[in-house]
Amino acid sequence: MNNSFLKIDNLSKNYGETPALSDISLSLHTEELLVILGPTGAGKTTLLRIIAGLEAADTGRITIDGTDITHQLPAERDIALVFQNFSLYPNKTVRQNLAFPLQAPGRNLSKTEIANRISHTADLLRITPLLDRPATHLSGGEMQRVAIGRAIVRQPQLFLLDEPLTNLDAKLREVLRVELIRLQRDLRTPMIYVTHDRVEALSMGDRIAVLSEGKILQIGTPEEIYQQPNSPIVARQLGYPPINTIDVHKQQNQWFTASNQAIMTADRNAPSNATLGIRAEDISPQGGEIPAIIEVIEDLGASTILLANWAGQSIQISISGEQQWHVGDEIYPSIDLDRVLVWEKKQPQMNTDEHR
Amino acid sequence: MRVKDGVLKYGFVGPALIFLIAFNIFPLFYNIYLSFTDAELSGGVTQLIGGRNYGVIFDDTRYGTALRTTGLFVVLAVATELILGFALALALQKPFWGKPAITTILLVPMMLSPAVMGLYWNFILNGHYGVVNQALSVFRLFQPQWLTDPDLKLFSILMIDIWMWTPFMMLIALAGLNAIPNHLYEAAAIDRASRWTVFRRITLPLCSPLLFLAILLRTTDALKQFDLVMAVTGPNDRATQTLSALLYQVMFRGYKIGLGSSYSIVILLIVIALATIFIRYIASIQAKQGRETA
Repeated sequence: MNNSFLKIDNLSKNYGETPALSDISLSLHTEELLVILGPTGAGKTTLLRIIAGLEAADTGRITIDGTDITHQLPAERDIALVFQNFSLYPNKTVRQNLAFPLQAPGRNLSKTEIANRISHTADLLRITPLLDRPATHLSGGEMQRVAIGRAIVRQPQLFLLDEPLTNLDAKLREVLRVELIRLQRDLRTPMIYVTHDRVEALSMGDRIAVLSEGKILQIGTPEEIYQQPNSPIVARQLGYPPINTIDVHKQQNQWFTASNQAIMTADRNAPSNATLGIRAEDISPQGGEIPAIIEVIEDLGASTILLANWAGQSIQISISGEQQWHVGDEIYPSIDLDRVLVWEKKQPQMNTDEHR
Repeated sequence: MRVKDGVLKYGFVGPALIFLIAFNIFPLFYNIYLSFTDAELSGGVTQLIGGRNYGVIFDDTRYGTALRTTGLFVVLAVATELILGFALALALQKPFWGKPAITTILLVPMMLSPAVMGLYWNFILNGHYGVVNQALSVFRLFQPQWLTDPDLKLFSILMIDIWMWTPFMMLIALAGLNAIPNHLYEAAAIDRASRWTVFRRITLPLCSPLLFLAILLRTTDALKQFDLVMAVTGPNDRATQTLSALLYQVMFRGYKIGLGSSYSIVILLIVIALATIFIRYIASIQAKQGRETA
């Protein structure tokens, strides 16, 4: 897995005084699907647009297969980008939309070759019956298939997808997500997939890069990011309900909350000030010592989420199956201590953004 | 006191309706009636004479000449204004320093009264003391007789019309260009389209419904060209006599109300025919494109 295809070194971009991206470095292996995950405004789209060549970075270097493409025009890069809003050519049919990139100067494709590629792509995406429809007379899902088709018909060396499923309804999103995974496996073309959706990130990515406020916080496999997030912000990006985070300090091998209540034993080597991360599924409602009152019950069908007030903290507990709890019930949450994440807290004030 | 909805409805619509009937519908039908009479402004008994006026029109050599003059004028004026206006709009598409000021200045000719501008241009183009020929004389260049040379007169009026109405085309073309979403250009850039391809296959087709609307408005307007002709050469100059000028000449100089009315009906029919063709065409391309952009 170490043959890197795309390499980005120390890339930064400012809009006026506002930094959009700072010191981004990452690499993409051949045939890899890298998900860039982050909340709205993290700089995901900017990063993608810089890779595509639609915007220029202030500093930094982008190479593909060792070739420096930092200053190349979009057309020179042979990178396909699928836009969030599909961006089909409205005055053309589906067929003409697919043909458009193939008719570019310098491609010199014969009419038969173009027709073959279009019909192959249309088969792959199951849009053959739509080929002669105007691009404006399509449903959202069909438009997105055509947009993806316009990207793959070119057989580019790299795919960039900018939240391609965000504008679709939930059911269609599921279907297309699975299709996209299959497509990427079949085509074996490296892909960078930008999303703010934790499910897409976990299910699609070979690796995930978590982006927040223009910085890459962590890069790793979905398992690594989920099991060993290196900061509370990364931890909050993945999993539902969002991870419980509690600011604590250590006294006599006990973790104390801000309101000076001891909640659990601390490791001998643990830092004196820390943020604890506890996944909702690592708490069970009974067996602990400190009482909590259930405030909200959220029934998700297969599981139920209890929002409870525990030791002066709001915590979420995920329990599976049918449970006979009621709002106002007293419970005694017990925490799986082996699975508690501990992040050393350097500054007294933590970042408290609330992305779910 | 409560007023019934029905009464209120007519109360609101009534004034406009009366206005429309008094100043549009009645004159139209009265005009049609007059075109079948031998009415003259000098008085005398008005008699119905059937279609004889229409026969006179088609025998009148002035009519053929005026039709040709008008046709030439419309085609050259609208085509030039379209091309220049679209070119200016393309130049003004991207932001640059001073763009708002330049745009405003470019729009000035459109906002002035054609009759007044006709008189001004009369001074500017005057063969003896006009500023254009004064400037040409400084450089010892040939000084054309803009307003009196029969071969040049129509060209001069054409120039004034182009000067006045190119900004209008520019304005509408700018609106069309601004309505094209930027992401389409970005998609085209990624798809490796050349600038010419982008222009021919994205910019132009997406702008075209608005451009056709502008052509329609300018064509119907130019077909009625009267004020500039009136101000620059007068209505009875064979070299510049448009249909409207001929109509004016017949009706208000010859006092032949009946014959003039039939002229106006003929002009109206031409305008309606062209407008219908244009509107159908615009509707068809809009239907093909769909109203919103994907």
